[in-house]
Amino acid sequence: MRAVKSQTLYWMAITFVLFPVLILLGIYMRSVQAGALPALEGWFYPMMTLHGVGMVGVWYVAAVACAANVLAKYAAPSPAIGRLAIAGTVVGVLLLLACVFLGRFAAGWYFLYPLPFKGEWPAWSAVVFLVSLTVLGATWLVWSLDLLRAIAARYSLGQALGWHYLAGRSDPVLPPAVLIITVSLIASVAALVAGVIMLVLFYLELATGAPNDALLMKNLIFFFGHTLVNLALYLGVALAYEVLPEYAGRPWKTNKVVVISWNAVLAIVLVAYFHHLYMDVVQPGVLLYIGQVASYASAIPAAVVTIFGALLLVYRARMRWNLASILFFLGLAGWAIGGVGAVIDSTISANVRLHNTLWVPAHFHTYMVAGLVFLVVAYFYHVCQEAAAAPERTGYQKLLATLMVLGAYGFFLMFYLSGAYSVPRRFAAYPAELAHGAIYSGIAAAFAALFLLGFVLYLVETGKRWRRALAHAS
Amino acid sequence: MLRHTALLAAAALALAGAARADTAADGKVLYEQKCAACHTIGGGDRIGPDLHGVAARRPEAWLLHFITAPDKMIAAKDEVAVRLYEKYNRIIMPNLGLSEADARAVLAHIQAMTAGAVPAAAAARPSPLPQPELAAPQSAVLTTFLVLAALIVAVFGWIALSTRSPAEVDVKRAYGVRKVFFVTAAVVLVALLVATLPRAPYARADLKPDRIVHVAARQFDFVFSDEPIVRATDIGRVPTIQRLALKAGTLVEFRVTSLDVNHGFGLYGPQRQLVAQTQAMPGYVNRLVVRLAEPGQYKAFCLEYCAAGHHLMQVGLTVE
Ligand code: HEC
Ligand code: HEM
Ligand SMILES: [Cu+2]
Ligand SMILES: [Cu+2]
Repeated sequence: MRAVKSQTLYWMAITFVLFPVLILLGIYMRSVQAGALPALEGWFYPMMTLHGVGMVGVWYVAAVACAANVLAKYAAPSPAIGRLAIAGTVVGVLLLLACVFLGRFAAGWYFLYPLPFKGEWPAWSAVVFLVSLTVLGATWLVWSLDLLRAIAARYSLGQALGWHYLAGRSDPVLPPAVLIITVSLIASVAALVAGVIMLVLFYLELATGAPNDALLMKNLIFFFGHTLVNLALYLGVALAYEVLPEYAGRPWKTNKVVVISWNAVLAIVLVAYFHHLYMDVVQPGVLLYIGQVASYASAIPAAVVTIFGALLLVYRARMRWNLASILFFLGLAGWAIGGVGAVIDSTISANVRLHNTLWVPAHFHTYMVAGLVFLVVAYFYHVCQEAAAAPERTGYQKLLATLMVLGAYGFFLMFYLSGAYSVPRRFAAYPAELAHGAIYSGIAAAFAALFLLGFVLYLVETGKRWRRALAHAS
Repeated sequence: MLRHTALLAAAALALAGAARADTAADGKVLYEQKCAACHTIGGGDRIGPDLHGVAARRPEAWLLHFITAPDKMIAAKDEVAVRLYEKYNRIIMPNLGLSEADARAVLAHIQAMTAGAVPAAAAARPSPLPQPELAAPQSAVLTTFLVLAALIVAVFGWIALSTRSPAEVDVKRAYGVRKVFFVTAAVVLVALLVATLPRAPYARADLKPDRIVHVAARQFDFVFSDEPIVRATDIGRVPTIQRLALKAGTLVEFRVTSLDVNHGFGLYGPQRQLVAQTQAMPGYVNRLVVRLAEPGQYKAFCLEYCAAGHHLMQVGLTVE
């Protein structure tokens, strides 16, 4: 039995409460798009905003919380800052709920400037939204910095990035998870700093009335959003590096290739965001082309090093399959499949027919739900099971994993098909020319409900262990 | 004396007429600038109701009040206002800062236009169209994705099944396989880059368009014109193109900007699928050059979320 940090368990509780609620919002959105809830159509865009910001936020903090739990094995993150992160996140979420439910704030999860100031919602709700993001951003920035500080207390920067492996040395030994967490946290600091700059520009406009530059703001928001979402995924992958070897009974170690690949990821992730601006042709052309090159390049370390490494780890291994190892394995598959959808979309000549269609939520839901969510909930289960050492019901676990996979991929497929048919994303209702979008929406709602059922079964299985883990928490 | 009075009356009438013509003219500009994004006069419902004959439907005082302060009337739960609000997707008509005199001028314009326009045939919702056949580029995208996804599923499935017969693996050999995989993936990706980058749909200096169309996007419509419209006040001053018709095969350059927030100009062809798109950004003009080869009815939908009327924001054009 291994005691778990109580903070990790609190983060789990937050995730377990918020995720099902946010899924319900997703099902609600698909039902409105199917034309099934005409009376509630007016809430579509506020709920879309809440779902987007909420999901991105929840899975970012869940991933960082897991990373902090892993780091605790090798370094000493500050418990006080950990508590601050929980408190700041709760305050930020309450402010977000206030502006969406009381103010019907609905600028979408990336609230493109100047939309927050020019919607049908009251001005105060935009201010509360910006304050909410400021609280969240500042809290997470402090949290990321503290985790980096903890790493720096144990390794030098070069060591934490594994540069000594390039020189042929492997002392000190650097677990791959620590390498990836370092890379991700550096990206996290960069993203959050960009986010803070953008928020300051918003406040300056509020204070002085002098308008901002729409293109600059677009670059800042996409740098922030793209980087934040990507690094959350990398943290999920770090968990697989850390835990999957225990189930495969084989090591998965840092080596030269792993170091090169994750250092490359750090460079690539910072410029790939240009692919969000392909349709802004006033952006200097070379940046747009860099966007495609970087997006393609990011596939190499992911596919050739990490996915290949994971498959090699599992290939003909004496694998102990349980809910954790199954979900880790599925999570890596989801990352790869979503990645294919993303690389296709990052091709400029294809993007002109896919940009802002449902193809976009199609691929990001694939690697978020079937990638990041699977990886994180695999880790959650793993940690609780380690602490609780309860007997495992393999049949039940396989059943719930099957429900989650069927539900998720059925739901994604409807997005992909709609996207291929040019059905736009973020439409509360579809025009007559695109009426087929409504049919896909209805089917998607049913699949999403299936996923939710699977997740509830997961909660039953993990919740029991979570309670026992809490009783023995450290 | 009588003659005198008659003359005076005539002069007064003429003056009044001129004055009315004047307010109606101002009213037209105001209407184009502030109302046409959401309303038509005899063209059917858009974001808000068709205003054809609205002066006959509602008392003048109510109209003046509503036009100058729609938000307050809805907040005060005015029965008619709330009913309209419920009917029109719960989109609150914005308070556009009109004075009562402005509102009178706009109403005069609406009345003048009502006189000349036939009401749109009972604005029935257009009936849903069947799913079109997937266009070739879209079909290529979908097929590529499905094939690669199936491949990934197959590989993961094979690896999962392999754990049924555990054995040691030869790591050296595996690294050999990885090298082959790396080289293959790198070659494929570079080849794809070389093949696709030059096909980026950006305006090139050597392309001389046959026709330049200016597009101004605003919450919640697109305005076509031959002269640039870059500020809200240009509307009403610069003549707009009411019905854009182009010859098949024309190389058109759309110069797209926005008067308020970000919008997307997503051009859908006769098969109701995207043929091209660009963003409409305040303060910038994005150039979209596209050859409209296939004749038929085209439509532009807004492809960047721009608040409550986003999914209703659209404009048609014909290629003949
Ligand atoms: C952003 C879209 C928008 C703009 C711009 C707009 N309206 Fe409206 N209008 C609406 C909506 C929506 C309604 C229905 C009531 C509601 O939901 O608030 C409406 C209702 C009305 C009505 C009541 C119609 C009836 O059937 O009784 C009048 C009159 C009207 N608008 C006039 C105007 C005038 C005049 C302007 C320009 C000065 C204008 N509107 C600008 C959206 C708009
Ligand atoms: C099974 C669970 C989920 C369901 C049913 C669901 C459903 C949806 C739906 C229907 C939309 C709107 C699509 C559109 O028309 O544009 C949406 C948007 C979105 N979802 Fe999810 N989703 C789920 C999980 C997630 C997760 C795990 C994330 C994690 C990061 C996420 C992040 C987002 C974001 C960022 C948006 C865009 C919001 C915006 O456009 O402003 N979703 N989701
Ligand atoms: Cu728009
Ligand atoms: Cu829009």
